[in-house]
Amino acid sequence: MFYQGVFDKYILHVFGNHIRKNFTPSKKIFSIFIELTQNIAYYSAEKGKIVESSDIGIGTLMLGEYSDYYLCITGNTISNEHIGAIVEKCETINSLDRIGLRKFKREQIRLPRGKNGGGAHIGLIQIALAAENPLDLKISPVDQKVSFLTLSVKIKK
Amino acid sequence: MENLYIQGTSNIYFQPTVDFNAETGVCELRGESYLEETVKFYYPIINWLKEYAAADKGAIVFNFMLTYFNTNSARSILDILDVLKEFEEAGGKVSVNWYCDEEDVEDVEEEVEDYMIESDLEINLKIYDK
Repeated sequence: MFYQGVFDKYILHVFGNHIRKNFTPSKKIFSIFIELTQNIAYYSAEKGKIVESSDIGIGTLMLGEYSDYYLCITGNTISNEHIGAIVEKCETINSLDRIGLRKFKREQIRLPRGKNGGGAHIGLIQIALAAENPLDLKISPVDQKVSFLTLSVKIKK
Repeated sequence: MENLYIQGTSNIYFQPTVDFNAETGVCELRGESYLEETVKFYYPIINWLKEYAAADKGAIVFNFMLTYFNTNSARSILDILDVLKEFEEAGGKVSVNWYCDEEDVEDVEEEVEDYMIESDLEINLKIYDK
């Protein structure tokens, strides 16, 4: 499954339905799919529109099935000013075991919500908990304003 | 005080069914929660609970019957638990039940445990009868 373009809710709905019907364990993969795609829809530095009148993030999503895991890779540009926080969060997540991750999640959920009522700060933690694998984050500089971020995660079957 | 009923929908987003009874104190949140405007949706729900708590009515039995919720909804669920905890601390009687299917017990158990630590409320994990 591969998609590149605007992470518009109508398009994501079609992919989401496909995952719910055809992937197992569907709940786990669906929840990871939702958290990853919402991040791109909100935080991608590159925006566009299809159906909605407001700007939605543009990015890439790939979801593939292998013998004992699924591999989900997302890519999108991100403003350089946000890189530090994401790198730090992923490093913290990858340094923790399951008990530590749950504790981190309980701390982060109490933080004030992000702008416009979105963001509970626990999306990436939830992904790591559900996938039972670390988050593989890569940042490639594009220019002075943005970088390209790739996040890949193996989802245990 | 009036009952609060919001019919759930399952379309582009998933809105859970809200079924709060002001007479019996039985409150249910059913279905899936993944919304475009999470805070806006949960605002009247939390307000209803605060109003109920202030009205000094009876015990609250809160049944979570959610099959899926995104992390943004997870935060709003914690807001609900906080209101219930405040009611309990003010002398109200609260019982919270969290329902799940047998195959999801392991995942849900962890989440319920974390909610118990986070809210300091007792939450009973219940498995649906097949």
